Amino acid sequence: MSSFIIARDLPEALEIMGRGEARIIAGGTDLMIHLRQARLSSRQAPPVILDVSRLPELQRLEPGAPRPFVGAGVTFHRLESDPEVARHLPLLAQAASMVGSLQVRQTGTIGGNVANASPAADGMTALTALGARAEIASLKGYRECSIEELVTAPNKTTLAPGEIILGFTVEEAPPAGQVFAKVGRRQAVSVARLNLAISLDPQLGDPRIALGACFPSPRRLRDVEKLIRQGEPGRQLWQAAGQQAAQHFTDVCGWRSSAVYKAPAVTRVTERALERAWQALGGAA
Amino acid sequence: MELIFKLNGEEVRLSQVPGEESLLTLLRERLGLTGTKEGCGVGECGACSVLLDGKVVNSCLTAAWQAAGREVTTIEGLAGDEDLHPVQRAFVEAGAVQCGFCTPGMILAAKSLLDQNPDPDEEVIKNALAGNLCRCTGYHDIIRAVRRAGKLLRGETS
Repeated sequence: MSSFIIARDLPEALEIMGRGEARIIAGGTDLMIHLRQARLSSRQAPPVILDVSRLPELQRLEPGAPRPFVGAGVTFHRLESDPEVARHLPLLAQAASMVGSLQVRQTGTIGGNVANASPAADGMTALTALGARAEIASLKGYRECSIEELVTAPNKTTLAPGEIILGFTVEEAPPAGQVFAKVGRRQAVSVARLNLAISLDPQLGDPRIALGACFPSPRRLRDVEKLIRQGEPGRQLWQAAGQQAAQHFTDVCGWRSSAVYKAPAVTRVTERALERAWQALGGAA
Repeated sequence: MELIFKLNGEEVRLSQVPGEESLLTLLRERLGLTGTKEGCGVGECGACSVLLDGKVVNSCLTAAWQAAGREVTTIEGLAGDEDLHPVQRAFVEAGAVQCGFCTPGMILAAKSLLDQNPDPDEEVIKNALAGNLCRCTGYHDIIRAVRRAGKLLRGETS
C-alpha cells in the first residue's frame, strides 16, 4: 500500500524525493495505468506517491516572456485554451489540442508527458522542435538539459532519483511559422503513429523539425533542417524535405513491415506541414 | 491521514485509503456508487467520467487522493429529489440511451460542456464527447440529446 503525499511547497517535495522511494504523480493519466498494470501482475506499488500538481512553481506559464516558460504541471487543456500560448507558442497549443480526450487533456500535464517518455508523446515532440530545455531540481540544486538529452529511449530518461522537472524554457521567442501534425489510427483520441513539429523563420535561417512516435526517442531531423536552410522556399523545397525526412526515417528504423506505410506518410506529412508553416509566416503556398 | 472531499454536495471523510487507489475504485467499491462505470480501465472509453471541480475527468486515471479538498460530482449527484437533471431528461427524451453503460459518462461530459458553453454547435459537441465511447449504436441521438439539453437549460423549450 502506497502512502500519498500532497506536496505543499517545492522544498518539501524535494526533501521527499531525496529519500529515494517516491514516485511522482502530476495528472496521473500515465501513472495510474502503470499502477493498475502493477496490481494486475502482483507487482508492488511504490511506497510513496508524491503529488506535485499543486506546486505553484510547476503551474507557472509565461509563454510571452523573453525566455518563454511552461511549468511542468501545466495541463494540455490549459495549453490548448490559453490565448497567450496560442499567440507565442502555437506549436505547443496545437500539439496539446491533439492529445487524448478532453478528460485526459484536463488532467494530463506537459511535464508528465516528458517524464513518462512514451515515444508517441505529442508534447515532447513539440518541445523538441521549439528547442526547449528542461529545468530540473533536486536537493543537490538545479540543472538544465535539452529534451533530446533528457529522453533517451522509450520510457527512459536521464532523470536521477530525487529529481523533479520544474518546467521548460525556450531560449528566445520562436518564429511564427509553427505547425504540429499527427497521424494516428483515427482523428480523435488516438495515440500518434507519427507526429511532426516544425518551426520556420521567414529567412529559413533556423528551421527546426522534430519527428516523433516512429523513433524510440525525440529526434530533430538535422539533415532536413540543413536542406531547408540551403534551399529556396516553395513547393519543390518542401517536397525535397519530405523525401529527405522519409530517408532519415528508414535510415534509422530500417525497412520494417510498417515502413511501407510510414515512409510515404512521413514524406507527405512533412511536405504539408512545411507548406502550412510557410503560409503561417505569410508566404505563398 | 483522512481523505476529505466533497461528493455530490456532501463532505466525505475516509481513512485508510491506499495512495494507489483510483477514484473509480473508491467510488464504486468503498462508497457503493456504481453509477460510475469501469469500461477499459485505461482512459480510452470515458465510462468512468466524473466531474472534479466541475471539469470532466476519467476517474480510472485519477488517484482517489487527488480529490482531496476538491468537489466530486458523479451521476448520482445530478438529479433532484423529484426531477431529473435537464441533461438526463434530454437523454431520455431524445432516446439517447440504449444499453446505458456509457450514459453516465456521456451525461457528465455533456454537463461539463454545457456549463461552460450553453449553446455549442455540433462540432464542439463532438469534440467534447470524443473521449466517451458508445458501442451500442452510434452518436446521432446522443448529439441530439446534448443539443436538446442546451435548449432546456437555456429555457427555450420545456
